[in-house]
Amino acid sequence: MSRIAIIGVGHSKFGKRSDASLRELAFEAYSSALDDADIESSRIDGSVVCSATHYDKQRSPAGVVAEYLGLNPQPTFNIEAACASSAVGLRTAWALVSSKLHNVIAVVGVQKMTELSNEEIQELMGRAGDVMWESPFGTTMPAYYAMYATAHMAKYGTTEEQMALVPVKNRKYGSKNPNAMFQKPITIEEVLKSRPISAPLKLFDCCANADGAACLIVTNAEKARKLTDRPVWVAGLGLASSPMSLAERKGPMTSFEVTKNAAKAAYKMARISPNDVDVAEVHDSFSITEILNYEDLGFAKPGGGTRLLEKGETELGGKIPVNVDGGLISKGHPVGATGASQLFALAKQLRGEAGSTQVDGAKIGVAQNIGGIGMYSAVTILRA
Amino acid sequence: MGFEKFGRFGYVSQTKINPLLSYLEKGQIAATKCEKCGRTYFPPRADCLDDRHSALEWVVLDGKSNLVTFTKVFFAPPAFQPETPYLLGLAELSNGLRVFAPISASVEEKQLKPGKEMNLKAAKGARDNLFYWLE
Repeated sequence: MSRIAIIGVGHSKFGKRSDASLRELAFEAYSSALDDADIESSRIDGSVVCSATHYDKQRSPAGVVAEYLGLNPQPTFNIEAACASSAVGLRTAWALVSSKLHNVIAVVGVQKMTELSNEEIQELMGRAGDVMWESPFGTTMPAYYAMYATAHMAKYGTTEEQMALVPVKNRKYGSKNPNAMFQKPITIEEVLKSRPISAPLKLFDCCANADGAACLIVTNAEKARKLTDRPVWVAGLGLASSPMSLAERKGPMTSFEVTKNAAKAAYKMARISPNDVDVAEVHDSFSITEILNYEDLGFAKPGGGTRLLEKGETELGGKIPVNVDGGLISKGHPVGATGASQLFALAKQLRGEAGSTQVDGAKIGVAQNIGGIGMYSAVTILRA
Repeated sequence: MGFEKFGRFGYVSQTKINPLLSYLEKGQIAATKCEKCGRTYFPPRADCLDDRHSALEWVVLDGKSNLVTFTKVFFAPPAFQPETPYLLGLAELSNGLRVFAPISASVEEKQLKPGKEMNLKAAKGARDNLFYWLE
């Protein structure tokens, strides 16, 4: 199989970026990725712009993003897979470069959400469910994940206190990430006392809507060796789909089949097992999601996710540190940028540049990125 | 008025499975069944997945079901805010198919737990909108 590398990564500050437009956010991430790769913009022969475009005021944002980054007349287009857009963007870049159709691709994940009110966003997110059979009953993104939480609590005895350990852990690490939206730690009590959003999920169990961008520069092995002495290799790519409507999913609703399928494909391609993973970024859109992801990625047995948290195994110094950049819960969730932000964090870890949250000797990293209410899931394995 | 009459607040107006509304109007829950292979679909589909046959007949369901999971929504999309908080559930019907539906306000939340026996019943809203819910 062809070897494809990430040779540069960039990240804007995430949060309520009332100081910047969509194109300007994209520029921040792109420009810092070029600096990181130490290459000129003229090297980029195509751009893959990843965004859940219904949250942006701009229609078909690839057009304006490519223009503002100075990437005309090279090919550009949008990739949309809801919250998994930029993980799918990397998969797309992998195919474009592997096929030799392109040499160096910029994957730009970007989202400008806060120009919409929370209610408008909530309405749009409700329609991320099946618009014929579920949205007409008032679904929301938290409601779907809350239903998984209810089922997990009933089957495994998971408690709200255990779920609160996720935001407490992630906000602790978020306080060390200058790009994060929230940089203040929180306590279990604060999580438990926060207002109900969709029971059993409360405000601090949920990630926040945000603006932001992250960028990956992707190329082939030959170019990577010429251009950098610290490539990060794409070792495994797993992507799967699941029925969008909850009613079409099987089983007790305590795991995401879609993630298990994506993980299986990624581990197989990388020829590794979950035990080989040194550091992970998982999609903590909600506290319960991180717990299910531990189990679906094989870090814990079904129902064993909370135990991993209680034993501190997903903390720095634990068996498998997870979301030590703060996760979506600290960084905020600019939908189209989140997947690239996870890969940014992994690349830094694998290059030994993660500073105070560095996992010692990290050689293999896994990123897991869920799209929407779980109709897409991408699992990406990177190697130093 | 088309299919946007379905639900508390419908989004889709045009579909091939409009007859569902007539059944709901009569207080019945109906599924579609492939004339060729006999596979039943609920929510109804116009096209059979197994043999791509598209002449499906309507069959009435009894509505007996068991709750799989549920949530209580406090923060809702604008169109649903006047009704907050409200309960949403996922239930398995006696034929093994599942349904995503609101849970009737008459059901006590404390009684709810996965596995609980429920009934899927046709319902009518204040704007003559038609839907079903779990009781």
